[in-house]
Amino acid sequence: MADPDLDFTSGDAGASTTYPMQCSALRKNGFVVLKGRPCKIVEMSTSKTGKHGHAKVHLVGIDIFTNKKYEDICPSTHNMDVPNTKRNDYQLVDISEGFLSLMMDNGDVREDLRVPEGDLGKEIESKFAAGEEMLVTVLSAMGEESAVAVKPMTK
Amino acid sequence: MMAAVGAPEVISQLESAAKVLMAPPSMVSTEQRQHAEHIFLSFRKSKSPFAVCKHILETSKVDYVLFQAATAIMEAVVREWILLEKSSIESLRTFLLTYVLQRPNLQKYVREQILLAVAVIVKRGSLDKSINCKSIFHEVSQLISSGNPTVQTLACSILTALLSEFSSSNKTSNIGLSMEFHGSCKRIFQEDDLRQIFMLTVEVLQEFSRRENLNAQMSCVFQRYLALANQVLSWNFLPPNLGRHYIAMFEATQNVMLKPTESWRETLLDHRVMDLFFTVHRKIREDSDMAQDSLQCLAQLASMHGPVFPDENAQVTYLAHLVEGLLNMINGIEIEDSEAVGISNIISNLISTFPRSVLTALPNELFASFINCLTLLTCSFGRSAALEEVLDKDDMVYMEAYDKLLESWLTLVQEDEHFPRGCFVQPAVQVFNSYIQCHLAAPDGTRNLTANGVASHEEEEINELQEDDRELFSDQLASIGMLGRIAADHCIPLLTGLLEDRVTRLHGQLQRHQQHLMASADPGTVDRKVLDDLYEDIHWLILVSGYLLADDPQGETPLIPSEVMEYSIKHSTEVDINTTLQLLGSPGEKATSIPGCNRTDSVIRLLSAVLRTSEVESRATRASLTELLSPQMGKDIVWFLRRWAKTYLLVDEKLYGQISMPLSTAFGADTEGAQWIVGYLLEKVINNLSVWSSEPELANDTVELLVTLVEKRERANIVVQCENWWNLAKQFASRSPPLHMLSSTVQRTLMKALVLGGFAHMDSDTKQQYWAEVLHPLQQRFLNLINQENFAQICQEEAVKQEIVATLEALCGIAEATQIDNVSSLFSFLMDFLSSCIGLMEVYRNSPETVNLIIEVFVEVAHKQICYLGETKSMKLYEVCLTLLQVYSKNNLGRKRLDVAAEEDQYQDLLLIMELLTNLLSKEFIDFSDTDEVFRGQEQSSGAGRAVSAADVVLYGVNIVLPLMSQDLLKFPSLCNQYYKLITFICEIFPEKIPQLPEELFKSLMCSLELGMTSMSSEISQLCLEALSPLAEQCAKTQEKDTPLFIATRHFLKLVFDMLVLQKHNTEMTVAAGEALYTLVCLHQAEYSELVETLLSNQRDAVIYQRLADAFNSLTASSTPPTMDRKQKVAFLKSLEEFVANVGGLLCVK
Repeated sequence: MADPDLDFTSGDAGASTTYPMQCSALRKNGFVVLKGRPCKIVEMSTSKTGKHGHAKVHLVGIDIFTNKKYEDICPSTHNMDVPNTKRNDYQLVDISEGFLSLMMDNGDVREDLRVPEGDLGKEIESKFAAGEEMLVTVLSAMGEESAVAVKPMTK
Repeated sequence: MMAAVGAPEVISQLESAAKVLMAPPSMVSTEQRQHAEHIFLSFRKSKSPFAVCKHILETSKVDYVLFQAATAIMEAVVREWILLEKSSIESLRTFLLTYVLQRPNLQKYVREQILLAVAVIVKRGSLDKSINCKSIFHEVSQLISSGNPTVQTLACSILTALLSEFSSSNKTSNIGLSMEFHGSCKRIFQEDDLRQIFMLTVEVLQEFSRRENLNAQMSCVFQRYLALANQVLSWNFLPPNLGRHYIAMFEATQNVMLKPTESWRETLLDHRVMDLFFTVHRKIREDSDMAQDSLQCLAQLASMHGPVFPDENAQVTYLAHLVEGLLNMINGIEIEDSEAVGISNIISNLISTFPRSVLTALPNELFASFINCLTLLTCSFGRSAALEEVLDKDDMVYMEAYDKLLESWLTLVQEDEHFPRGCFVQPAVQVFNSYIQCHLAAPDGTRNLTANGVASHEEEEINELQEDDRELFSDQLASIGMLGRIAADHCIPLLTGLLEDRVTRLHGQLQRHQQHLMASADPGTVDRKVLDDLYEDIHWLILVSGYLLADDPQGETPLIPSEVMEYSIKHSTEVDINTTLQLLGSPGEKATSIPGCNRTDSVIRLLSAVLRTSEVESRATRASLTELLSPQMGKDIVWFLRRWAKTYLLVDEKLYGQISMPLSTAFGADTEGAQWIVGYLLEKVINNLSVWSSEPELANDTVELLVTLVEKRERANIVVQCENWWNLAKQFASRSPPLHMLSSTVQRTLMKALVLGGFAHMDSDTKQQYWAEVLHPLQQRFLNLINQENFAQICQEEAVKQEIVATLEALCGIAEATQIDNVSSLFSFLMDFLSSCIGLMEVYRNSPETVNLIIEVFVEVAHKQICYLGETKSMKLYEVCLTLLQVYSKNNLGRKRLDVAAEEDQYQDLLLIMELLTNLLSKEFIDFSDTDEVFRGQEQSSGAGRAVSAADVVLYGVNIVLPLMSQDLLKFPSLCNQYYKLITFICEIFPEKIPQLPEELFKSLMCSLELGMTSMSSEISQLCLEALSPLAEQCAKTQEKDTPLFIATRHFLKLVFDMLVLQKHNTEMTVAAGEALYTLVCLHQAEYSELVETLLSNQRDAVIYQRLADAFNSLTASSTPPTMDRKQKVAFLKSLEEFVANVGGLLCVK
């Protein structure tokens, strides 16, 4: 889980963390910013007021970092913010005090990401304890990062 | 034997158990409850419990215990029937009946249970010559004549219990007897006893209908007998010689029509019976509950057909009497709300049951009165239905009744050549007018007006799941459209006039708003009420016009309806063609402002009224008034234009016996009119796509119109001559606004349309240029992007991701455009991309949404193209699919991810892979590829040169998918269906590969098959059965015993045997199960004999034993010894059908 106290220098400093998109062009399983949080769209439906009304889009999203559910409804002509998202795979080198040590492409090791909560975290810890080599996928959006997947190293 | 000696103890034990069962959940533990249940269960199973039961009934005061005693008697009588003295059965029945008679205050459920026991005894005895249970009818008629309401009610309960018991439907008690027994009982019952019950009922009804005043108690009895009469008239008469499966199917039918056997002739053709039901209804019509029964009785009488009528004359007489009665009943009364549905059922039943020849044989005057009455009724119900909608009632009785009557009109006028010419024109005019009136706003119409003339206008939230009116009311609209054609002379000009008027008003209204807005007023202050009323008027006028002018048959070329064609021809002499074309070509002008506009073709004028609507809409968008427009009206317009274009555009004269000059001059091939309208439609599409990108449904209807324009070569040839078309293509290829704001489905369909257009007739330079504009930019941009040196670094940038997604979406659209004549060029084009896509799989391995989209491209290509591909091309596709799977598996093996999506979505990739594999396999069933495939068989056996086969790809894929398919995942219907489709295809197509599977994989495959056969839907069960034969044949081929597959098939033999012989199953599965059984029997003859032996040895009844033994013998007689030979297999299947019909009912027990 991302810790709000931690500040990351993102690789593309200065670039906007979101971009606008017409509501109707969003897609289910895509991303959107709801109530200021980066979310994955899990439900998307349209409705209108009266038979001759204009379409409104009803969005249900789940915060990609906190798993909290957010909803919003807006005219389909509106632009919504879509978070720029990025996924990187890093090799797991150590786990200490609830933090992952991950080796970046340039050989540096970062130790600022927490072991994720829930099944995924348990899986990472037990595999690491068993001495397996793993790649951890880190998802970043709007200045936050979190481990979202793990895969044993091939080769 | 449980003697009466121990009775007091038994009673006290049962009573305390009953107390436990009746106690609130908090007071007793689960164990106590189970123990109590067990006590009752074992009590009911005890041997000859009659004495103790009688004792209980006479002494216990606990209702539940009485109930259980009655149940115990019922079960024991059936169980010990053969051992019991007939006289003791008889006295038991008398005891039960007397018991009930003497205790009028019994709890209802106890009384019903005791009567049920009586009914079961009567039924069990009805096939037993040694016992006569008929006396019960005598007893009942005595009860009825007692005149005592309580006793009469009891008599009614007895008859009702008998009726349910003999109906052999699911109301029948579970008494452990064969379906054949149930069927035979029903047949005997319906010939004689049922009629007796009916006569008794009729007598009671007659008696009551003669009385002046009925007190509450008596009218209660009356109601019960009326309900009983309805039950008799709704009896599902079982025809002779119907096998058990058919019986099950037959019993399941709803809305039973009355088809009595010949023996009912005298009873039901007696006019007094019908008259009685009319009289009864008149008497009780204000009681809505009873009226429902009396009208239902009449509706059943109106559905009467079959051998009960000796000849057509009898039918005519009967129908005439029915119609007279009906008219007498309806005329002069004000119909109650509760009567509407019943009356419409009577009419709808008689129109759909009686042949046209019988209807036309009615006396002219009577027929005319009937049609007149039907017309008035339809209009009146239509108005009431509209009121119901305004009041937003939950129970839409008039709407239901109106639907029924409109459906009846459709039945009538579709065969109007049987009736006097023109006899439906006036009625059609009236019904049509009233429909239009109900759907237009005041003052022309009455929409949204309540009964006292107050307008109601509520804006409700409408979600996307709610169907559009054009689908929701499609049945109504189809009927109204048909009636409009019958009365085209009236209806087409009416629609035109109304629509032209509304469009003029809309235009004026929008102009006023624009001036208002320009005067800097706040747009929020615009009152939409007037606009919305106009939109709603236009909405209905366009829907009715669309249904009147054209049909929309799926998959065939729709023809101009003959009535419309005739109408246009009839007036063509009065028509000035040039003015007509001028009217058509100037949608921006008011129709009435064109000189000579009254000498134009009316069919064309109706179309041009819609074009005028469209023009007002387009102009409003250009004036930035889109906010004020109705997307619903936008949908209506493109929906109409699409429907119209399919039928009228480039009308093919060869398809018609006679053709209207105005229509062929305006829309025929090589006419200016056709060119003009194609250009106009194209402009409309382009305008809509840029203005309405935010309205998904409207955008979708719009691209569908575009697809309609290009999917037929003749139309496409004109389309590609338009400059606008090229502009659209260029704009889309450059991925510039506003087209890129469309939803992904719309973009895909747009791509599809653009590709389809590319196969129109063009000279080779033009064609080259077209592809250079449409497809090559796509390729160029994509290659430029992925070939950048730093692609791996920039691939996560949003702009890059968007470009990739847009390309993948476009590829899906291109695949969708595949047709037999363009597959070769599209395949080569797509193949280049597919290889690059595999690279993308690697780059985006950690982005599931991109991975899914990539797999989807492969799914689409395989789905649309594999059936056309020759050997080399197929192999190329197999290879690239195999690589895709390898990359997928490398990147996903052991991967665990935290996914916030709904559970089913998490498995999107699995679903897509299974779809891909199934699509690849489908080549083995559907193959349209060229002649080089003729030699495929030989090449296959040589094995050389065939680098990758479908089998390799599919089995590789199955290796990935199978271990992941848990029982939990099978609970998702989409995953479950796709999975079974896939694995059964594999068994059928590559049975030789199955034994080579790794042990674990093999085991889970077999488990899946068994699970699918036994505990999934019948569709899946059938798939699994179909997979068994090839597996058994495979075993037979190799002749190896004790292989895992051989052992597995032995297990399946038992499963299929039980399924076919012992269990209830769907008829449609008999063939699949039979084929599987036969091949399995061939393979495991000894085991089969064993199964038969075991089954026979369980039969105690010598007669049944013999029948079964004979049946099994003749089942295999034609195929002994069974061999895997087609002829023998067919013979076996035929015998199996007889087997099931003969003895199936003996073994299937209820």
